[in-house]
Amino acid sequence: MKKGLMFELLKGLWDESPTFRQLLGMCPTLAVTTSIINGFSMGVATLFVLLCSSVIVSLLRSAIPKEIRIAAYVVIIAAFVTVADLFLKANFADISKALGPFVPLIVVNCIILGRAEAFASKHGVIPSFVDALGMGLGFTLALTLIGSIRELLGSGMLGQPWVIMILPSGAFITLGLLIALMNVIKDKTKAKLAPACPLACPGCEQGGVN
Amino acid sequence: MDLVLIFISAAIVNNFVLSYFLGICPFLGVSNKLDKALSMGAATTFVMVLAAAVTWLINNLILIPYNLPFLQYVSFIIVIASLVQFVEMFMRKFTPPLYRSLGIFLPLITTNCAILGLALLSALRNYNFGQSVVFGLAAGVGFTLALCIMAGIREELDLAPIPEPFKGAPITLIVAGLLALAFMGFAGLISG
Amino acid sequence: MKILKMIVVLTLIGLISGGVLAYVYQWAELKIAANQVRETDAAVFKVVPGTKSYKTIAKDDLTYFECFDDVDGKLGTAILCQGNGYQGVIKLIVGVNADFSKFTGMSVLEQLETPGLGAKISEAVFQAQFNNLAARPPIEYVKGISPSKPNEIQAITGATISSRSVVNIINKTIEEWLRVK
Repeated sequence: MKKGLMFELLKGLWDESPTFRQLLGMCPTLAVTTSIINGFSMGVATLFVLLCSSVIVSLLRSAIPKEIRIAAYVVIIAAFVTVADLFLKANFADISKALGPFVPLIVVNCIILGRAEAFASKHGVIPSFVDALGMGLGFTLALTLIGSIRELLGSGMLGQPWVIMILPSGAFITLGLLIALMNVIKDKTKAKLAPACPLACPGCEQGGVN
Repeated sequence: MDLVLIFISAAIVNNFVLSYFLGICPFLGVSNKLDKALSMGAATTFVMVLAAAVTWLINNLILIPYNLPFLQYVSFIIVIASLVQFVEMFMRKFTPPLYRSLGIFLPLITTNCAILGLALLSALRNYNFGQSVVFGLAAGVGFTLALCIMAGIREELDLAPIPEPFKGAPITLIVAGLLALAFMGFAGLISG
Repeated sequence: MKILKMIVVLTLIGLISGGVLAYVYQWAELKIAANQVRETDAAVFKVVPGTKSYKTIAKDDLTYFECFDDVDGKLGTAILCQGNGYQGVIKLIVGVNADFSKFTGMSVLEQLETPGLGAKISEAVFQAQFNNLAARPPIEYVKGISPSKPNEIQAITGATISSRSVVNIINKTIEEWLRVK
């Protein structure tokens, strides 16, 4: 059991990294990673919503009829996103301003609906919590990493500033190169991985409310 | 003049996909064939215009008068999801040919963050009803434009010798980066 | 029966979420309002130095703040300005003294200009040019050379359009303000 939980926790960091392997939650990954602090804050906000909604979905999994589950999940997720948004606005006004509409857009982050549908709705509270923690940490780690690369190169902390890194274009190119790098590493260690189609995320497959 | 500015700004200068990063999932997923990209773009534009109108009404006739701003996110996402369902049912019943070509894209639109992003941005900027609808149309046109350009490039990319680790998502992202850089050339169109 | 259960469950989830949110909002609302007041305070105090209190006035589409100190009365006015920049909307606040002879300060509140170029309008070096700038005739900008007239500022190198936008936005809003005040 203990080993099982450890596996659920670690898979989100590497093997099933939501950002680099599953290509989920691309919008915030690209949009808010102009600096380390923005990337990290977005990661933590998403982690919070992911943890809360996974636990609640797991608790309610037998009470929610199958036909309306997606609608129910979306309402639960949107409620927690509002809580996170209000909390940021009240206590961290600067960060809330920098992240702008991307805090409310956590609602449509495929990672959250995806974990609710693929994991929390089928597992108990503790595994769901650990799964969400792993995925959330994996997401936070990826956003912080991209944020640090872009801020370090873009602000000129390492010599001449590369303005392109702060521009939208720099976000696309950094992420593209990082995924390619992950593919190279993965190629060397394990069998080749076909890049996952982002549309295969369960949220999309289900097509929202039934 | 005001409406023209909003249109150019949202469709080209601050393109939803290439500068606001909204709707990246379908941008990466459905941009491999030109005809598919065009259909997806058309379906999304249609839903965007409707969503812009309906969420404006909800926001200005219910949420603001009754001081319920905390229900904004919940109500917007419910409205968008129901709207997509409704459009799908309507199209299946009354315009079967259109449904056959656009129908399969509709369910994907609910989780397209561009729609919710559109509703939120338009509420944030205090647009009036007309501005909101034009903003929705412009966002849809901009999305379609980015999707189609990308699809055109990717059809050519299929024939290019791309290094193995770059195949799929990485090369698409890098091309998108160059495209975003090219779109920066439009900046300044709206300056006063 | 099944449909009934579906309706009951969804309604319950909706009601509970709504209730929780209303509760959280009550707590957050005060803090958010306080944050906004603090933000406005900071901006007004910065562009009209020495301000101890101010009165907010909203007329037509214009918002401005009459600034007072506790000794000689009116110090000047801080005016909110908004307009299009190179890439998006620029919001800024500008201060003028009581007899409208000079500007007392300028601060960019929001902008989407190009990082490293146009975004320099948010930097202190550019904004400091508006301290003690003559209010009449309208502001003008020069490129590459030092300003020679009292109503001139120097545009940022490589970001003339952003600099020009700031100047135009201020000039336009000042005209508007002179008309309505």
